[in-house]
Amino acid sequence: MRIGRSLAIAAGVAGSALTPSALIAETKPTLPPYAGAYEPQTVDERGVWMQADEDERGLRDSQFLINDPALSAYVRAVLCRTVGADRCRGVRLYIERVPAFNATMAPNGTLRVWTGMLLRLRNEAELAAVLAHEFAHFERRHSLAEYRHNRGATDVMAWAGLIGGAVSSTVFNAALLSIPAFSRAEETEADMLSARYIAAAGYDVRCFADVWARLMDEADATALGRHQRSRRYDRVAFFASHPTNLDRAIYLRDFAARQPIGGDTGQDAWSAALTPWRAGLLADQLKLNDFGGTEYVLGQLGADGWSEDLLFARAELYRTRGNPRDLVTAANLYRQAIAIDPAHVDSYRGLGLALIRSGDAESGRAALRRYLYLAPGADDASMLASLLS
Amino acid sequence: MIKLWAAVVGFAAILAAPSAAMAQEKSAVRPGFVLKPGSAKILLFRPKISVGAQSTGGMFEPNADWTAQARENLSAALDEAQAHLGNRVVAAAEPVGPAAQTLAAYQSLFSVVAESVIEYQFFKGNRLPTKKRKGEFDWTVGPGVAALGQGTGCDYALFLVTDDHYGSTGRKVLQVFAALARVPVAVGVHKGFAGLIDLRTGDLVWLNADLQMGGDVRSQAGAAKRMGQLLADFPGRPIVTESSSEGK
Repeated sequence: MRIGRSLAIAAGVAGSALTPSALIAETKPTLPPYAGAYEPQTVDERGVWMQADEDERGLRDSQFLINDPALSAYVRAVLCRTVGADRCRGVRLYIERVPAFNATMAPNGTLRVWTGMLLRLRNEAELAAVLAHEFAHFERRHSLAEYRHNRGATDVMAWAGLIGGAVSSTVFNAALLSIPAFSRAEETEADMLSARYIAAAGYDVRCFADVWARLMDEADATALGRHQRSRRYDRVAFFASHPTNLDRAIYLRDFAARQPIGGDTGQDAWSAALTPWRAGLLADQLKLNDFGGTEYVLGQLGADGWSEDLLFARAELYRTRGNPRDLVTAANLYRQAIAIDPAHVDSYRGLGLALIRSGDAESGRAALRRYLYLAPGADDASMLASLLS
Repeated sequence: MIKLWAAVVGFAAILAAPSAAMAQEKSAVRPGFVLKPGSAKILLFRPKISVGAQSTGGMFEPNADWTAQARENLSAALDEAQAHLGNRVVAAAEPVGPAAQTLAAYQSLFSVVAESVIEYQFFKGNRLPTKKRKGEFDWTVGPGVAALGQGTGCDYALFLVTDDHYGSTGRKVLQVFAALARVPVAVGVHKGFAGLIDLRTGDLVWLNADLQMGGDVRSQAGAAKRMGQLLADFPGRPIVTESSSEGK
């Protein structure tokens, strides 16, 4: 069992009348969990912290971490500006190389940020919103409350399931549905608390709702590309742990509309910190084999103008799908990337391969020769050289 | 539809299916492998130990105090058991930097390999074609593991994993009432496995996996019994600790 709250994208109805959490006597902790050298208090809290500590031991030495001092310092600085220096001190930040949109917070203050999220966020205010959301889970001890709620609910379910009969089955269903409902209530609470944090930190509050709007569009694009039915946003699945992205976009817009206009988006600082990483993050995204979703993400990133790394990534996307028409599109995109940056080495490689595959062997070989001239020590140099002979 | 779903979920929650451990082999030694008694120096990596209660509904309730006790008790029991065998067990130091990454990767790899052995060799019904020959036990984590033993003078690495969920009073009461209704309810989960890796070749030379272990790891005597079971069939010679005989 993994205990921790996440930001995950999920479809999710307000729940039942039964609240097994009422069965649990809540002791009021004396210190907040982010206080320096805080020790968990009750048996339950000590238990969930122990699990989180064990998980963190493995995470700390994981080969999937991006241990870059500059990037980590930037993300931490955004968290500290948002929630305050005294609060952020109790948080350990880990940036994990996972090409999907998520961040999670364990009850002991382990904050995980996935690189797929860094690729998709557009500015510092959006990052601040997500980090503040995770911090809110930690501050309010949501993992612990959820664990206690679920234990109470499954206890009720065990007895109701055993006793049987019409009344019991109603109780059973109510207890079952209270589990995701409890989780969704926590998510909404964390969303609202984080919206207040980013407003207080001077960030533009409207950004938070945009995040959810874009995620819905991306999910639509992925579904379309895979010929699947898109998720529905107007109805909530019974077992969804999170409110729908549409719900989140709506209540966050509503909150933002009541705040004064303006606020900082932190666009420049965001670009400066993330631009060096973008090519690598795009390469990971391309490996997901999600044509529709990736095309959408690229379109969003290119909304303010297409740079060579975006053009190259889009060209790679088309070249790897590999229909004859895709190769033509890809070759054009590589040429556009080269036009912007004549030293963009990888574009010559892609252009060469796309042209050879399209039957234009002569131009293709010329492009590959250019690649090998610019990058003689490349890993695939000898393999590509064999295409030239 | 929802009712059906709920019934399914509930059924699973109540039954917490008794594991298929009955039909399963529990340990194996690599053919031809002998450990000369009194000769080996064994490197022990931080055991994965998790102890807690099982709620009425079957959820795991992690308990930090029990886990700390078990860690202490099992460590003492291991030292004693290996002293009986004449082997020396050295606790591995926690490395930093790239060495820590290597260690974390090998710990994960060991877990994956051990789980694969349990699933695809010990469980007869699911045995892979390459693992069917009698007496065959051919699994490895690769020679790269030698990096872990460098400078320690150790020949073998020992990995230990235990996972204990002690049934709560509520769970036991539920079991009694359920038995009246002829519904089986399992109380408690007691799993453990131990494996020995040759630090020169990376071969898994011995593995013992038991999904229904005995011995209360929260007490010293119980931990000694558990360790006896974990080290049963440990290569070298038959283990002699009395508590390791039978009974769960």
